[in-house]
Amino acid sequence: MAKLLEVQGITKRFGGLVAINDLSFHIDEGEVLGLMGPNGSGKTTIFNIIMGDFPPDSGKVLLKGEDITHYPTFERVKMGIARTYQVPRPFRELPIIEDIRVSTIPDSIMGSFRGGTHLEEVERIAEDVGLKGRFSMYPHELTMGDLRRVELAKALATKPKIVLLDEIFAGLTVAEIEEIDKLLRRKMEEGLDFIVVSHDLKALAPLVDRVVVIHFGQFIAEGPFDKIVDNEKVKAAYFG
Amino acid sequence: MIEKYSKVGITSIKSLRWWLIAIAVMCVLPLFVPLSVTRLLVMASYLAIFAMSWDMMSGHTGYISFGHPALIGLAGYVTAFLSHQEGFQPPHIILPLYVTLPLGVAAAVGGGMLFFLPSMRVRGPYFALVSLAFMEILHRLVIAIRPEFTGGDRGLPNQPAVVIGAIPNYYLALGLMFATAIGLWYVSRSNVGNVLKAIRMDEDVVEASGISTYRFKRFAFLLSALTAGLGGVFYTHYLQSISPRRAFSTIFLLDIIISAVIGGMGTIVGPMFGGYFLTFILEYLRPYLFGQWRLLAYALVAIFMVIYRPRGFYGIAQDVRNWFRARTREGA
Repeated sequence: MAKLLEVQGITKRFGGLVAINDLSFHIDEGEVLGLMGPNGSGKTTIFNIIMGDFPPDSGKVLLKGEDITHYPTFERVKMGIARTYQVPRPFRELPIIEDIRVSTIPDSIMGSFRGGTHLEEVERIAEDVGLKGRFSMYPHELTMGDLRRVELAKALATKPKIVLLDEIFAGLTVAEIEEIDKLLRRKMEEGLDFIVVSHDLKALAPLVDRVVVIHFGQFIAEGPFDKIVDNEKVKAAYFG
Repeated sequence: MIEKYSKVGITSIKSLRWWLIAIAVMCVLPLFVPLSVTRLLVMASYLAIFAMSWDMMSGHTGYISFGHPALIGLAGYVTAFLSHQEGFQPPHIILPLYVTLPLGVAAAVGGGMLFFLPSMRVRGPYFALVSLAFMEILHRLVIAIRPEFTGGDRGLPNQPAVVIGAIPNYYLALGLMFATAIGLWYVSRSNVGNVLKAIRMDEDVVEASGISTYRFKRFAFLLSALTAGLGGVFYTHYLQSISPRRAFSTIFLLDIIISAVIGGMGTIVGPMFGGYFLTFILEYLRPYLFGQWRLLAYALVAIFMVIYRPRGFYGIAQDVRNWFRARTREGA
Protein backbone atom coordinates (compact mmCIF):
# COMPACT_ATOMS: atom_id res chain seq x y z
CA MET A 1 0.00 0.00 0.00
CA ALA A 2 1.29 3.49 -0.83
CA LYS A 3 2.44 5.73 1.96
CA LEU A 4 0.14 8.71 2.41
CA LEU A 5 1.98 10.63 5.09
CA GLU A 6 5.42 9.98 6.45
CA VAL A 7 7.65 11.56 9.07
CA GLN A 8 11.34 10.74 8.68
CA GLY A 9 13.87 11.21 11.48
CA ILE A 10 12.14 14.22 13.04
CA THR A 11 13.94 15.88 15.94
CA LYS A 12 12.64 18.92 17.77
CA ARG A 13 14.26 20.66 20.72
CA PHE A 14 12.80 23.42 22.86
CA GLY A 15 15.85 24.90 24.53
CA GLY A 16 17.45 22.04 26.41
CA LEU A 17 14.39 19.80 26.15
CA VAL A 18 14.33 17.23 23.37
CA ALA A 19 10.59 16.98 22.64
CA ILE A 20 10.93 14.70 19.60
CA ASN A 21 13.97 12.54 19.10
CA ASP A 22 14.67 11.06 15.66
CA LEU A 23 11.08 9.91 15.22
CA SER A 24 9.92 8.14 12.08
CA PHE A 25 6.56 6.60 11.21
CA HIS A 26 4.10 6.61 8.35
CA ILE A 27 0.44 6.08 7.54
CA ASP A 28 -0.65 4.17 4.45
CA GLU A 29 -3.53 5.14 2.22
CA GLY A 30 -6.79 3.67 3.51
CA GLU A 31 -5.40 3.21 7.00
CA VAL A 32 -6.27 4.55 10.43
CA LEU A 33 -3.23 5.00 12.62
CA GLY A 34 -3.29 5.39 16.39
CA LEU A 35 -0.56 7.46 18.00
CA MET A 36 -0.11 6.52 21.65
CA GLY A 37 2.12 7.61 24.44
CA PRO A 38 1.95 8.83 28.02
CA ASN A 39 1.51 12.51 28.89
CA GLY A 40 4.29 14.68 27.52
CA SER A 41 5.54 12.05 25.08
CA GLY A 42 5.39 14.49 22.16
CA LYS A 43 2.16 13.46 20.38
CA THR A 44 0.79 16.97 19.99
CA THR A 45 4.26 18.28 19.11
CA ILE A 46 4.53 15.86 16.20
CA PHE A 47 1.04 16.94 15.06
CA ASN A 48 2.18 20.56 15.19
CA ILE A 49 5.25 19.69 13.12
CA ILE A 50 3.17 17.78 10.57
CA MET A 51 0.89 20.82 10.27
CA GLY A 52 3.82 23.24 9.98
CA ASP A 53 3.09 25.21 13.14
CA PHE A 54 6.82 25.15 13.74
CA PRO A 55 9.70 23.55 11.84
CA PRO A 56 11.62 20.49 13.03
CA ASP A 57 15.31 20.88 13.86
CA SER A 58 15.99 17.98 11.55
CA GLY A 59 14.05 15.38 9.58
CA LYS A 60 11.36 15.50 6.94
CA VAL A 61 7.58 15.39 6.55
CA LEU A 62 6.40 13.79 3.31
CA LEU A 63 2.92 13.77 1.82
CA LYS A 64 2.55 11.18 -0.94
CA GLY A 65 6.31 11.27 -1.32
CA GLU A 66 6.51 15.05 -1.64
CA ASP A 67 8.71 16.80 0.91
CA ILE A 68 6.46 19.35 2.62
CA THR A 69 8.75 20.08 5.58
CA HIS A 70 9.13 23.73 4.69
CA TYR A 71 5.64 24.37 3.35
CA PRO A 72 3.48 26.83 5.31
CA THR A 73 0.48 25.44 7.18
CA PHE A 74 -2.15 26.71 4.75
CA GLU A 75 -0.38 24.99 1.82
CA ARG A 76 -0.36 21.69 3.70
CA VAL A 77 -4.07 22.07 4.39
CA LYS A 78 -4.75 22.77 0.73
CA MET A 79 -2.76 19.61 -0.10
CA GLY A 80 -5.13 17.58 2.08
CA ILE A 81 -3.96 17.53 5.71
CA ALA A 82 -6.37 18.76 8.37
CA ARG A 83 -6.40 18.61 12.14
CA THR A 84 -8.47 18.99 15.26
CA TYR A 85 -7.10 20.47 18.47
CA GLN A 86 -6.75 18.80 21.84
CA VAL A 87 -8.48 21.81 23.41
CA PRO A 88 -11.13 22.93 20.88
CA ARG A 89 -10.33 26.31 19.35
CA PRO A 90 -13.55 27.74 17.94
CA PHE A 91 -13.81 31.38 16.82
CA ARG A 92 -15.49 32.63 19.97
CA GLU A 93 -17.42 35.52 18.37
CA LEU A 94 -18.92 33.53 15.50
CA PRO A 95 -21.97 31.29 15.45
CA ILE A 96 -20.72 27.80 14.71
CA ILE A 97 -22.02 27.70 11.14
CA GLU A 98 -19.94 30.79 10.33
CA ASP A 99 -17.00 29.23 12.14
CA ILE A 100 -17.20 26.16 9.90
CA ARG A 101 -17.71 28.39 6.86
CA VAL A 102 -14.30 30.03 7.37
CA SER A 103 -12.75 26.68 6.41
CA THR A 104 -14.47 26.85 3.02
CA ILE A 105 -13.42 30.40 2.10
CA PRO A 106 -11.03 30.37 -0.88
CA ASP A 107 -7.45 31.38 -0.24
CA SER A 108 -7.60 34.38 -2.57
CA ILE A 109 -8.90 37.89 -2.12
CA MET A 110 -10.87 38.01 -5.36
CA GLY A 111 -12.16 34.48 -4.87
CA SER A 112 -13.38 35.45 -1.41
CA PHE A 113 -15.16 38.52 -2.74
CA ARG A 114 -16.89 36.46 -5.38
CA GLY A 115 -18.17 34.13 -2.67
CA GLY A 116 -16.55 30.77 -2.94
CA THR A 117 -18.50 29.31 -0.09
CA HIS A 118 -21.84 27.61 -0.46
CA LEU A 119 -23.92 27.88 2.63
CA GLU A 120 -25.85 24.73 1.75
CA GLU A 121 -22.61 22.79 1.61
CA VAL A 122 -21.50 24.16 4.98
CA GLU A 123 -24.88 23.24 6.44
CA ARG A 124 -24.57 19.76 5.01
CA ILE A 125 -21.15 19.30 6.65
CA ALA A 126 -22.51 20.61 9.97
CA GLU A 127 -25.50 18.29 9.75
CA ASP A 128 -23.25 15.41 8.80
CA VAL A 129 -21.29 15.69 12.05
CA GLY A 130 -24.51 15.96 14.05
CA LEU A 131 -24.81 19.68 14.66
CA LYS A 132 -28.33 20.04 13.30
CA GLY A 133 -30.38 22.48 15.34
CA ARG A 134 -27.32 24.28 16.71
CA PHE A 135 -26.14 26.29 13.69
CA SER A 136 -26.78 29.67 15.26
CA MET A 137 -25.29 28.82 18.63
CA TYR A 138 -22.05 30.30 19.88
CA PRO A 139 -19.15 28.21 21.23
CA HIS A 140 -19.83 29.12 24.87
CA GLU A 141 -23.33 27.62 24.50
CA LEU A 142 -22.07 24.20 23.36
CA THR A 143 -21.12 21.03 25.21
CA MET A 144 -17.62 19.58 24.83
CA GLY A 145 -19.08 16.93 22.55
CA ASP A 146 -20.49 19.55 20.22
CA LEU A 147 -17.26 21.54 20.29
CA ARG A 148 -15.46 18.39 19.15
CA ARG A 149 -18.01 18.05 16.35
CA VAL A 150 -17.34 21.64 15.30
CA GLU A 151 -13.61 20.86 15.24
CA LEU A 152 -14.29 17.85 13.07
CA ALA A 153 -16.64 19.79 10.78
CA LYS A 154 -13.99 22.48 10.29
CA ALA A 155 -11.42 19.84 9.39
CA LEU A 156 -13.82 18.11 6.97
CA ALA A 157 -14.76 21.42 5.35
CA THR A 158 -11.20 21.75 4.02
CA LYS A 159 -11.80 18.54 1.97
CA PRO A 160 -8.89 16.63 3.49
CA LYS A 161 -7.28 13.31 2.55
CA ILE A 162 -6.07 12.79 6.10
CA VAL A 163 -7.21 14.22 9.42
CA LEU A 164 -5.07 14.39 12.56
CA LEU A 165 -7.38 13.91 15.52
CA ASP A 166 -5.87 15.16 18.77
CA GLU A 167 -7.61 13.70 21.83
CA ILE A 168 -10.95 13.68 20.04
CA PHE A 169 -12.58 11.74 22.90
CA ALA A 170 -11.24 13.85 25.77
CA GLY A 171 -13.86 15.29 28.09
CA LEU A 172 -16.75 13.45 26.43
CA THR A 173 -19.51 11.43 28.07
CA VAL A 174 -19.84 7.74 27.19
CA ALA A 175 -22.79 8.55 24.91
CA GLU A 176 -20.83 11.30 23.15
CA ILE A 177 -17.86 8.98 22.65
CA GLU A 178 -20.16 6.46 20.99
CA GLU A 179 -21.59 9.11 18.68
CA ILE A 180 -18.18 10.46 17.68
CA ASP A 181 -16.96 6.90 17.21
CA LYS A 182 -19.85 6.16 14.83
CA LEU A 183 -19.16 9.36 12.96
CA LEU A 184 -15.47 8.53 12.53
CA ARG A 185 -16.29 5.02 11.34
CA ARG A 186 -18.63 6.44 8.73
CA LYS A 187 -15.93 8.82 7.53
CA MET A 188 -13.44 5.95 7.37
CA GLU A 189 -15.83 3.98 5.22
CA GLU A 190 -16.07 7.01 2.95
CA GLY A 191 -12.30 6.69 2.46
CA LEU A 192 -10.89 9.27 4.83
CA ASP A 193 -7.62 8.46 6.64
CA PHE A 194 -6.93 9.44 10.24
CA ILE A 195 -4.11 9.61 12.70
CA VAL A 196 -5.76 9.43 16.10
CA VAL A 197 -4.16 10.53 19.33
CA SER A 198 -6.13 9.42 22.38
CA HIS A 199 -5.63 8.65 26.02
CA ASP A 200 -8.87 6.73 25.95
CA LEU A 201 -7.45 3.39 24.86
CA LYS A 202 -10.85 1.72 25.04
CA ALA A 203 -12.23 4.17 22.52
CA LEU A 204 -9.09 4.05 20.40
CA ALA A 205 -8.77 0.26 20.14
CA PRO A 206 -11.68 -0.54 17.78
CA LEU A 207 -10.92 2.41 15.50
CA VAL A 208 -7.31 1.88 14.52
CA ASP A 209 -5.65 -0.53 12.11
CA ARG A 210 -2.21 -0.01 13.61
CA VAL A 211 -0.66 1.81 16.53
CA VAL A 212 2.63 3.66 16.93
CA VAL A 213 3.76 4.25 20.50
CA ILE A 214 6.15 7.02 21.46
CA HIS A 215 7.75 7.89 24.77
CA PHE A 216 9.87 10.99 25.51
CA GLY A 217 9.60 11.82 21.82
CA GLN A 218 11.09 8.49 20.72
CA PHE A 219 9.57 5.60 18.84
CA ILE A 220 9.20 2.56 21.11
CA ALA A 221 6.76 0.19 19.42
CA GLU A 222 4.44 -0.36 16.46
CA GLY A 223 1.81 -2.93 15.53
CA PRO A 224 -1.85 -3.95 15.94
CA PHE A 225 -3.48 -2.57 19.10
CA ASP A 226 -4.00 -5.88 20.91
CA LYS A 227 -0.36 -6.84 20.51
CA ILE A 228 0.92 -3.39 21.41
CA VAL A 229 -0.81 -3.33 24.80
CA ASP A 230 1.09 -6.49 25.76
CA ASN A 231 4.41 -5.04 24.66
CA GLU A 232 6.81 -4.78 27.62
CA LYS A 233 8.26 -1.44 26.51
CA VAL A 234 4.76 0.03 26.22
CA LYS A 235 3.78 -1.29 29.64
CA ALA A 236 6.95 0.20 31.09
CA ALA A 237 6.24 3.57 29.45
CA TYR A 238 2.70 3.69 30.80
CA PHE A 239 3.11 2.07 34.20
CA GLY A 240 6.79 2.67 34.95
CA MET B 1 -35.57 23.13 6.51
CA ILE B 2 -32.80 25.70 6.73
CA GLU B 3 -32.32 27.09 10.21
CA LYS B 4 -32.35 30.76 10.89
CA TYR B 5 -29.11 32.25 12.10
CA SER B 6 -27.24 35.50 11.80
CA LYS B 7 -25.78 35.48 8.32
CA VAL B 8 -22.56 37.30 9.02
CA GLY B 9 -20.82 38.18 5.80
CA ILE B 10 -23.91 38.60 3.73
CA THR B 11 -24.54 42.16 2.63
CA SER B 12 -28.18 42.80 1.97
CA ILE B 13 -29.86 45.57 0.03
CA LYS B 14 -31.84 46.25 3.21
CA SER B 15 -28.67 47.33 5.01
CA LEU B 16 -27.81 49.68 2.13
CA ARG B 17 -31.07 51.49 2.88
CA TRP B 18 -29.56 52.77 6.15
CA TRP B 19 -26.62 54.20 4.27
CA LEU B 20 -28.94 56.10 1.94
CA ILE B 21 -30.83 57.54 4.92
CA ALA B 22 -27.57 58.56 6.62
CA ILE B 23 -26.28 60.21 3.43
CA ALA B 24 -29.57 62.08 2.96
CA VAL B 25 -29.57 63.36 6.55
CA MET B 26 -25.94 64.45 6.41
CA CYS B 27 -26.46 66.18 3.06
CA VAL B 28 -29.20 68.46 4.40
CA LEU B 29 -27.57 68.98 7.79
CA PRO B 30 -25.68 72.22 6.89
CA LEU B 31 -29.07 73.84 6.22
CA PHE B 32 -30.00 73.48 9.87
CA VAL B 33 -26.76 74.01 11.79
CA PRO B 34 -24.52 77.07 12.19
CA LEU B 35 -21.33 77.34 10.19
CA SER B 36 -19.20 76.62 13.26
CA VAL B 37 -20.88 73.22 13.58
CA THR B 38 -20.39 72.60 9.86
CA ARG B 39 -16.66 73.23 10.31
CA LEU B 40 -16.65 70.82 13.23
CA LEU B 41 -18.41 68.25 11.04
CA VAL B 42 -15.61 68.56 8.48
CA MET B 43 -13.03 67.74 11.16
CA ALA B 44 -15.25 64.91 12.41
CA SER B 45 -15.52 63.45 8.90
CA TYR B 46 -11.74 63.34 8.57
CA LEU B 47 -11.33 61.77 12.00
CA ALA B 48 -14.00 59.22 11.00
CA ILE B 49 -11.98 58.38 7.86
CA PHE B 50 -8.81 57.90 9.92
CA ALA B 51 -10.63 55.81 12.52
CA MET B 52 -12.09 53.57 9.80
CA SER B 53 -8.67 53.25 8.20
CA TRP B 54 -7.24 52.10 11.55
CA ASP B 55 -10.20 49.79 12.07
CA MET B 56 -9.70 48.09 8.70
CA MET B 57 -6.27 46.96 9.82
CA SER B 58 -6.16 46.87 13.60
CA GLY B 59 -9.84 46.54 14.50
CA HIS B 60 -10.31 43.62 12.13
CA THR B 61 -7.07 41.66 12.43
CA GLY B 62 -6.03 42.60 15.97
CA TYR B 63 -2.64 43.85 14.73
CA ILE B 64 -2.58 47.11 16.65
CA SER B 65 -1.00 49.93 14.68
CA PHE B 66 0.53 52.89 16.49
CA GLY B 67 1.79 54.22 13.20
CA HIS B 68 -1.30 55.41 11.39
CA PRO B 69 -0.51 59.10 11.90
CA ALA B 70 2.75 58.39 10.06
CA LEU B 71 0.82 57.10 7.03
CA ILE B 72 -1.45 60.13 7.14
CA GLY B 73 1.51 62.46 7.65
CA LEU B 74 3.53 60.87 4.87
CA ALA B 75 0.68 61.38 2.42
CA GLY B 76 0.21 64.94 3.66
CA TYR B 77 3.89 65.83 3.44
CA VAL B 78 4.28 64.46 -0.08
CA THR B 79 1.34 66.38 -1.48
CA ALA B 80 2.29 69.48 0.53
CA PHE B 81 5.90 69.38 -0.60
CA LEU B 82 5.02 68.94 -4.24
CA SER B 83 2.33 71.62 -4.28
CA HIS B 84 4.05 74.02 -1.89
CA GLN B 85 3.79 77.68 -2.75
CA GLU B 86 6.77 79.24 -1.07
CA GLY B 87 9.92 78.92 0.93
CA PHE B 88 11.99 76.69 -1.34
CA GLN B 89 15.19 77.41 -3.08
CA PRO B 90 14.96 76.62 -6.75
CA PRO B 91 14.86 74.27 -8.48
CA HIS B 92 11.55 73.17 -7.02
CA ILE B 93 8.78 72.01 -9.27
CA ILE B 94 5.29 72.92 -8.14
CA LEU B 95 2.80 70.40 -9.36
CA PRO B 96 -0.98 70.74 -9.62
CA LEU B 97 -3.14 69.12 -6.96
CA TYR B 98 -4.56 66.50 -9.29
CA VAL B 99 -1.02 65.14 -9.55
CA THR B 100 0.12 65.66 -5.95
CA LEU B 101 -2.96 64.13 -4.33
CA PRO B 102 -2.54 60.68 -5.93
CA LEU B 103 1.21 60.84 -5.34
CA GLY B 104 0.55 61.52 -1.64
CA VAL B 105 -1.76 58.51 -1.43
CA ALA B 106 0.80 56.36 -3.27
CA ALA B 107 3.47 57.48 -0.78
CA ALA B 108 1.33 56.37 2.16
CA VAL B 109 0.73 52.98 0.55
CA GLY B 110 4.34 52.53 -0.62
CA GLY B 111 5.96 53.80 2.57
CA GLY B 112 3.61 51.78 4.72
CA MET B 113 4.28 48.63 2.72
CA LEU B 114 8.01 49.14 3.10
CA PHE B 115 7.89 49.41 6.88
CA PHE B 116 4.83 47.52 8.00
CA LEU B 117 4.69 44.48 5.78
CA PRO B 118 7.90 42.82 6.96
CA SER B 119 6.73 43.33 10.54
CA MET B 120 3.44 41.58 9.80
CA ARG B 121 5.31 38.30 9.92
CA VAL B 122 5.73 38.84 13.65
CA ARG B 123 2.81 38.88 16.02
CA GLY B 124 1.43 40.66 19.04
CA PRO B 125 3.25 43.65 20.45
CA TYR B 126 6.09 43.45 17.90
CA PHE B 127 3.91 44.80 15.15
CA ALA B 128 2.72 47.63 17.38
CA LEU B 129 6.31 48.49 18.28
CA VAL B 130 7.45 48.53 14.67
CA SER B 131 4.55 50.78 13.70
CA LEU B 132 5.39 53.15 16.55
CA ALA B 133 9.02 53.20 15.45
CA PHE B 134 7.88 53.99 11.91
CA MET B 135 6.07 57.07 13.17
CA GLU B 136 9.03 58.19 15.27
CA ILE B 137 11.49 57.68 12.40
CA LEU B 138 9.38 59.82 10.08
CA HIS B 139 9.00 62.42 12.82
CA ARG B 140 12.79 62.66 13.24
CA LEU B 141 13.37 62.68 9.49
CA VAL B 142 11.01 65.57 9.01
CA ILE B 143 12.47 67.64 11.84
CA ALA B 144 16.15 66.89 11.66
CA ILE B 145 17.00 65.78 8.16
CA ARG B 146 16.63 68.25 5.32
CA PRO B 147 14.38 70.69 7.17
CA GLU B 148 14.80 72.96 4.16
CA PHE B 149 12.48 70.57 2.32
CA THR B 150 10.07 69.72 5.12
CA GLY B 151 10.00 73.05 6.91
CA GLY B 152 11.39 71.42 10.07
CA ASP B 153 9.35 72.09 13.19
CA ARG B 154 7.35 74.78 11.43
CA GLY B 155 6.10 72.41 8.75
CA LEU B 156 4.73 73.45 5.38
CA PRO B 157 2.17 76.23 5.66
CA ASN B 158 0.23 78.11 2.97
CA GLN B 159 -0.91 75.06 1.07
CA PRO B 160 -3.42 75.39 -1.73
CA ALA B 161 -6.97 74.34 -0.88
CA VAL B 162 -8.83 71.75 -2.93
CA VAL B 163 -12.07 73.69 -2.44
CA ILE B 164 -12.67 76.93 -0.58
CA GLY B 165 -15.25 77.59 2.10
CA ALA B 166 -16.87 75.57 4.89
CA ILE B 167 -19.80 74.23 2.87
CA PRO B 168 -17.83 72.94 -0.16
CA ASN B 169 -15.27 71.44 2.23
CA TYR B 170 -18.09 69.82 4.18
CA TYR B 171 -19.43 68.07 1.09
CA LEU B 172 -15.94 67.06 -0.03
CA ALA B 173 -15.15 65.54 3.37
CA LEU B 174 -18.59 63.96 3.58
CA GLY B 175 -18.29 62.44 0.10
CA LEU B 176 -14.88 61.01 0.92
CA MET B 177 -16.08 59.74 4.25
CA PHE B 178 -19.13 57.95 2.85
CA ALA B 179 -17.23 56.54 -0.14
CA THR B 180 -14.60 55.17 2.26
CA ALA B 181 -17.18 53.96 4.76
CA ILE B 182 -19.32 52.07 2.24
CA GLY B 183 -16.26 50.55 0.54
CA LEU B 184 -14.70 49.37 3.80
CA TRP B 185 -18.06 48.28 5.18
CA TYR B 186 -18.58 46.10 2.12
CA VAL B 187 -15.17 44.50 2.64
CA SER B 188 -15.88 44.04 6.34
CA ARG B 189 -19.15 42.22 5.61
CA SER B 190 -17.65 40.03 2.89
CA ASN B 191 -15.79 36.75 3.30
CA VAL B 192 -12.59 38.78 3.33
CA GLY B 193 -13.85 40.65 6.40
CA ASN B 194 -14.79 37.37 8.04
CA VAL B 195 -11.30 35.99 7.51
CA LEU B 196 -9.77 39.18 8.96
CA LYS B 197 -11.97 38.97 12.06
CA ALA B 198 -11.17 35.28 12.40
CA ILE B 199 -7.45 36.19 12.30
CA ARG B 200 -8.06 38.47 15.28
CA MET B 201 -9.72 35.60 17.14
CA ASP B 202 -7.19 32.85 16.36
CA GLU B 203 -4.67 33.26 13.56
CA ASP B 204 -3.28 29.71 13.78
CA VAL B 205 -6.72 28.22 13.29
CA VAL B 206 -7.29 30.38 10.20
CA GLU B 207 -4.00 29.05 8.76
CA ALA B 208 -5.18 25.55 9.61
CA SER B 209 -8.30 26.29 7.54
CA GLY B 210 -6.10 26.51 4.44
CA ILE B 211 -5.95 30.30 4.30
CA SER B 212 -2.78 32.36 3.98
CA THR B 213 -3.28 34.86 6.77
CA TYR B 214 -0.39 36.95 5.43
CA ARG B 215 -2.23 37.44 2.13
CA PHE B 216 -5.36 38.70 3.88
CA LYS B 217 -3.47 40.86 6.39
CA ARG B 218 -1.53 42.43 3.53
CA PHE B 219 -4.78 43.25 1.77
CA ALA B 220 -6.25 44.78 4.94
CA PHE B 221 -3.14 46.84 5.42
CA LEU B 222 -3.17 47.98 1.80
CA LEU B 223 -6.77 49.16 2.15
CA SER B 224 -5.99 50.77 5.47
CA ALA B 225 -2.96 52.64 4.12
CA LEU B 226 -4.91 53.67 1.03
CA THR B 227 -7.67 55.12 3.20
CA ALA B 228 -5.20 56.82 5.54
CA GLY B 229 -3.41 58.31 2.53
CA LEU B 230 -6.63 59.48 0.93
CA GLY B 231 -7.81 61.11 4.15
CA GLY B 232 -4.31 62.50 4.76
CA VAL B 233 -3.94 64.38 1.47
CA PHE B 234 -7.38 65.99 1.61
CA TYR B 235 -7.03 66.77 5.33
CA THR B 236 -3.71 68.52 4.68
CA HIS B 237 -5.20 70.69 1.96
CA TYR B 238 -8.28 71.38 4.05
CA LEU B 239 -6.05 72.70 6.87
CA GLN B 240 -3.80 74.24 4.20
CA SER B 241 -0.75 73.29 6.20
CA ILE B 242 1.08 70.35 7.72
CA SER B 243 3.49 70.23 10.61
CA PRO B 244 5.19 67.43 12.55
CA ARG B 245 3.39 68.43 15.74
CA ARG B 246 0.05 67.75 14.09
CA ALA B 247 1.00 64.87 11.81
CA PHE B 248 3.07 62.74 14.15
CA SER B 249 1.51 63.50 17.50
CA THR B 250 0.56 60.92 20.08
CA ILE B 251 -2.67 62.81 20.76
CA PHE B 252 -3.67 62.48 17.11
CA LEU B 253 -2.90 58.75 17.37
CA LEU B 254 -5.03 58.47 20.51
CA ASP B 255 -7.90 60.33 18.83
CA ILE B 256 -7.88 57.79 16.02
CA ILE B 257 -7.62 54.71 18.22
CA ILE B 258 -10.15 55.90 20.80
CA SER B 259 -12.66 56.79 18.08
CA ALA B 260 -12.40 53.23 16.79
CA VAL B 261 -12.50 51.65 20.25
CA ILE B 262 -15.51 53.54 21.56
CA GLY B 263 -17.32 53.14 18.25
CA GLY B 264 -16.78 49.38 18.13
CA MET B 265 -13.70 47.77 16.63
CA GLY B 266 -14.02 45.61 13.55
CA THR B 267 -17.32 47.12 12.45
CA ILE B 268 -16.32 50.16 10.30
CA VAL B 269 -19.66 51.82 11.12
CA GLY B 270 -18.69 52.03 14.81
CA PRO B 271 -15.38 53.85 14.27
CA MET B 272 -17.11 56.18 11.80
CA PHE B 273 -19.61 57.10 14.51
CA GLY B 274 -16.77 57.21 17.05
CA GLY B 275 -14.98 59.86 14.98
CA TYR B 276 -18.03 62.14 15.08
CA PHE B 277 -18.73 61.41 18.74
CA LEU B 278 -15.20 62.16 19.86
CA THR B 279 -14.92 65.37 17.85
CA PHE B 280 -18.15 66.75 19.30
CA ILE B 281 -17.63 65.54 22.85
CA LEU B 282 -14.16 67.09 22.92
CA GLU B 283 -15.53 70.35 21.56
CA TYR B 284 -18.46 70.52 23.95
CA LEU B 285 -16.30 69.53 26.93
CA ARG B 286 -14.00 72.45 26.18
CA PRO B 287 -15.73 74.96 28.54
CA TYR B 288 -15.77 72.45 31.39
CA LEU B 289 -12.49 70.59 31.12
CA PHE B 290 -9.32 72.36 30.12
CA GLY B 291 -6.27 71.04 28.33
CA GLN B 292 -5.00 67.73 29.65
CA TRP B 293 -8.15 67.15 31.72
CA ARG B 294 -10.12 66.71 28.54
CA LEU B 295 -7.67 64.12 27.33
CA LEU B 296 -7.85 62.37 30.66
CA ALA B 297 -11.65 62.33 30.48
CA TYR B 298 -11.82 60.68 27.10
CA ALA B 299 -9.02 58.26 27.92
CA LEU B 300 -11.09 57.17 30.93
CA VAL B 301 -14.15 56.75 28.70
CA ALA B 302 -12.08 54.59 26.36
CA ILE B 303 -10.75 52.44 29.22
CA PHE B 304 -14.29 52.03 30.54
CA MET B 305 -15.50 50.95 27.10
CA VAL B 306 -12.67 48.46 26.60
CA ILE B 307 -13.36 46.83 29.97
CA TYR B 308 -17.14 46.93 30.17
CA ARG B 309 -18.32 47.43 26.57
CA PRO B 310 -15.59 46.00 24.35
CA ARG B 311 -17.96 46.04 21.38
CA GLY B 312 -18.32 49.82 21.73
CA PHE B 313 -21.34 51.88 20.76
CA TYR B 314 -21.98 49.53 17.88
CA GLY B 315 -22.36 46.66 20.34
CA ILE B 316 -24.65 48.71 22.55
CA ALA B 317 -26.81 49.58 19.53
CA GLN B 318 -26.96 45.89 18.57
CA ASP B 319 -27.98 44.91 22.11
CA VAL B 320 -30.74 47.53 22.16
CA ARG B 321 -32.01 46.35 18.75
CA ASN B 322 -32.01 42.72 19.88
CA TRP B 323 -33.85 43.67 23.06
CA PHE B 324 -36.56 45.45 21.07
CA ARG B 325 -36.84 42.54 18.66
CA ALA B 326 -37.20 40.09 21.54
CA ARG B 327 -39.89 42.27 23.12
CA THR B 328 -41.74 42.55 19.82
CA ARG B 329 -41.67 38.76 19.44
CA GLU B 330 -42.94 38.30 22.99
CA GLY B 331 -45.76 40.75 22.33
CA ALA B 332 -46.81 39.04 19.10
